[in-house]
Amino acid sequence: MPQYRRADRIHQMLENYLPVLIFIAVGLVFGAFMVVLGMILSPSRPDDEKLSRYECGFEAFAGARSEFDVRFYLVAILFIIFDLEIAFLFPWATVLRELGLFGLLSMTLFLAILVVGFIYEWKKGALQWE
Amino acid sequence: MVESILSLLTLLGFPDWLQSVIIIMLKIVVILIPLLTAVAYFTLAERKVIAYMHVRIGPNRVGPRGLLQPIADAVKLMFKEIIIPHGADKALFLFAPVLSMAPALAAWAVIPFEAEMVLAQVDASLLYILALTSMGVYGVIIAGWASNSKYALLGAMRSAAQIVSYEIAMGFALVGVLMAAGSINLGEIVMGQQGGFWHWYWLPLFPLFVIYFISGVAETNRAPFDVAEGESEIVAGFHVDYSGMAFAVFFLAEYANMILVAMLAALMFLGGWLSPFEGIGIFADSWLAAPSILWLLVKTSLFMFLYLWFRATFPRYRYDQIMRLGWKVFIPITIVWILVIGVAIVAEVGPWFAAGVAHG
Amino acid sequence: MISFAQTLFYLFSAIIIFAALRVVTVRNPIHAALYLVLTFFTTAALWILLEAEFLAITLVLVYVGAVMVLFLFVIMMLDIDLAVMREGFVRSLPVAGLVALVMLAIMVMVVGPQHFGMALYPAVTPHAADYSNTRELGRLLYTVYLYPFEIAAVILLVAIVAAIALTLRQRKDSRYQQVELQVAVERNDRLRIVSMPAEEPRP
Repeated sequence: MPQYRRADRIHQMLENYLPVLIFIAVGLVFGAFMVVLGMILSPSRPDDEKLSRYECGFEAFAGARSEFDVRFYLVAILFIIFDLEIAFLFPWATVLRELGLFGLLSMTLFLAILVVGFIYEWKKGALQWE
Repeated sequence: MVESILSLLTLLGFPDWLQSVIIIMLKIVVILIPLLTAVAYFTLAERKVIAYMHVRIGPNRVGPRGLLQPIADAVKLMFKEIIIPHGADKALFLFAPVLSMAPALAAWAVIPFEAEMVLAQVDASLLYILALTSMGVYGVIIAGWASNSKYALLGAMRSAAQIVSYEIAMGFALVGVLMAAGSINLGEIVMGQQGGFWHWYWLPLFPLFVIYFISGVAETNRAPFDVAEGESEIVAGFHVDYSGMAFAVFFLAEYANMILVAMLAALMFLGGWLSPFEGIGIFADSWLAAPSILWLLVKTSLFMFLYLWFRATFPRYRYDQIMRLGWKVFIPITIVWILVIGVAIVAEVGPWFAAGVAHG
Repeated sequence: MISFAQTLFYLFSAIIIFAALRVVTVRNPIHAALYLVLTFFTTAALWILLEAEFLAITLVLVYVGAVMVLFLFVIMMLDIDLAVMREGFVRSLPVAGLVALVMLAIMVMVVGPQHFGMALYPAVTPHAADYSNTRELGRLLYTVYLYPFEIAAVILLVAIVAAIALTLRQRKDSRYQQVELQVAVERNDRLRIVSMPAEEPRP
């Protein structure tokens, strides 16, 4: 049975992350390459009708960029808060076994405080979409 | 094999850092080629599977039984004009597909395919994947905005709000996995599940398992959560103005993400490359009980099939129902279950949370 | 001869400075926001060079993945008119310049070069092979720094309440699906079985 050995890791974090960096670069280059390839190979015969923006065949009657339901902002703000919560939960989850009951109680308090906020937004109807 | 390439490079007189870069590039190619092939044939599989579920035959003209269809599609898209609409922000319009492609590929850097078989030995690999998945939303938002079209922008906003909502549920589900494994590293999470079918995390984490996969479906904007593409209302969502290769890149990124979600589900909940026959008397010592990448691929295909099955089965959710499911059903369940697992770990319940399992 | 790590450091630093300058100089607010994303991303890369793995990835997760998404939402929807924005540029230039100078002075005092340098800090000892940044952080955060941690929860709670109080405007005429009621429906609410005499056959 092959064991997953931590000792096999190369010593420096840089060496661990170098492949990640290169992979991100490769991903960007690959995507760009595909788009550029498409642009080179494909014909380009623009005309006014073809380039007009899509609006079900109607003439566009208003600018595309308009004000929006404030609810979308609210979702984004709540998302930030809950994302932070998850960021706090991650290190806790990895060491819970060592911390034992004390760790469990400290996180229970943390979650309890935030659940109060969650109940508040629920009761206020912030999660309600019509 | 790596050693022989290394010695060849030394012979040719490459400096050390260049050698390691070349080796890494080769490994990336070894990951990317099967991945892209899988993406291409996943599109064919989707059409075939859904066709049979509809009692049709599906694509069967190009090549034997339609097997060359994905290649024909790729060639067709390559020669299609890329239309850049009036008033669009040209640079961002072309950059958006790249921005959705890069995270979808880069996430594969930390996926372990077998014990030891991983490109980047990153400790916080699960966190890295979560961070990269959250980057995917940029492609959607920028595409919608750069198109300068109301439909695209509406679709983008809907998708973005949906993606971020389900990311929360997904993040909470991942926390449960971390707690059970006591590690943030994918390889260690798989090794924490040793001991056969009943030791895998799908059982103690069952609610999180279900929530993770459904959130994964919603994150990738797939049916039944594909309101962004609600054909009847906003046509195709954020990529309505895209054509040719620019569209194809979005398409590829979406399918690569689907395969990623499927593989993560297999790794975190179904024991990854571990064999389901492990620890059963009759199979002991046979190859069936040995862990191998084959098991990982089989489990991943299972989840990929579920994606297609969902699409053929469920009617599309309405937008308010999607948001309700994410915020009012999934998040409360995950929070409760996290506390349940917390208590189980502190009390050292069952075979999963016994003290010996910890990797400390 | 500089090492590979140093090369990366200078490369990332150059990208950060370039991107940060573009954030304030570029005309289009969306482009500015995207340059800010690039700045955060390369900053994360620098933090990884410092072996602050968890914080680096969290920077991407929280700032790039969440905060900047909100920024983009807001900028896209506001439809900012550039001409109006530049109107008061000359008039407020002196005051803005003064504020900028004061801020620069404070920053030099607090994070100026006299606080940094090789002489002031001992060399970083490389970590053992099984070092886990996340785990180390967890060991400290929930025990030694418990109070700040719980206070963070309270701050987040305030943020939730404030966000809702500021943005939520409910319309009176909107209608909701009440799922609880739908689920709680019983047969007797919807269905009434009446007994009728069987229809008589036509003669």
